[in-house]
Amino acid sequence: MSVFTRSDKTTDPNAAKATAQPMAPASTPAAAPAEPPRPATPAPSVTPAGQGVSIISKALKITGQLESTEAVQIDGEVDGDIRAASVKVGGNAKVKGTVYGEVVEVAGRIEGKIEAKKVVLKQTAHMAGDVVHQDITIESGAYINGHCRPEFGKAEGRADAKPEHTPYKPVAVS
Amino acid sequence: MAALRQPFIEKPASRDRVMEPASRLGQAFRVTGVLETDGELHVHGHVKGRIHADRLVLAIGAYVEGDILARDVRIGGRFNGRIFALNVAVDSSAEVIGRVFHHTLTVDKGARIDGRMPWRPINFFESLKDIPEAKT
Repeated sequence: MSVFTRSDKTTDPNAAKATAQPMAPASTPAAAPAEPPRPATPAPSVTPAGQGVSIISKALKITGQLESTEAVQIDGEVDGDIRAASVKVGGNAKVKGTVYGEVVEVAGRIEGKIEAKKVVLKQTAHMAGDVVHQDITIESGAYINGHCRPEFGKAEGRADAKPEHTPYKPVAVS
Repeated sequence: MAALRQPFIEKPASRDRVMEPASRLGQAFRVTGVLETDGELHVHGHVKGRIHADRLVLAIGAYVEGDILARDVRIGGRFNGRIFALNVAVDSSAEVIGRVFHHTLTVDKGARIDGRMPWRPINFFESLKDIPEAKT
């Protein structure tokens, strides 16, 4: 056996758990021993929200492209395009760029465009730009300057749409 | 320690910073560009570009490519690029490629590191307003 063999396997599995919650206070308060032993419940996670949820807090400014297959909550500033399953733009948020998503909920400012299946403009929303949607809610008080254009997926096709181009076929006369 | 606690990024010792919830970029999150915050940032997804933060955590599963300027950095995921931070902690799950400019450094057993980790005095970080150009 080599001296240099890594001993990963032998390390305490708890060590990995400890690193999974970085920056958490290392020790519990001194009062802890007085408490009765609790059943093994997972320690309160640093971010109580669901696993994939992304939060861009007020202090964060992002310049560039964002992409997520899960939900994104924006309270800060984004200069660039956003693509996500669900996008929530908070009351103090500012977005410059296009927001693509299944569901887009806006309470803050957007300068650009929204392309989403379901769009909700809250009271405090400030939307400067076009909205392409299948389903839109605009609350009273919302500011909107732009075109709202319904668009249904090409695959589904519109109910009132004409059938696909059918080339003329001369009928053979016998 | 008191000296280390002092922020070196130019900003007033803001009172609401403590109240500010940390930003979190989830596992499915991909960013290309510049991220700037004077608060805390947790990265679980992929980032390509620059990150300016006060405290930065690269969680297990995170992948960051680019430059980081922060006061405290903790790395549990993969990183490729340069770090300029006063306090750096590298967890055992980390994989770091590049250069880590630091004042205090902790590296856990098992961490994979490929690169240099130069020590710098505090005033190097205090005078650091922006990430220096990479020497090619």
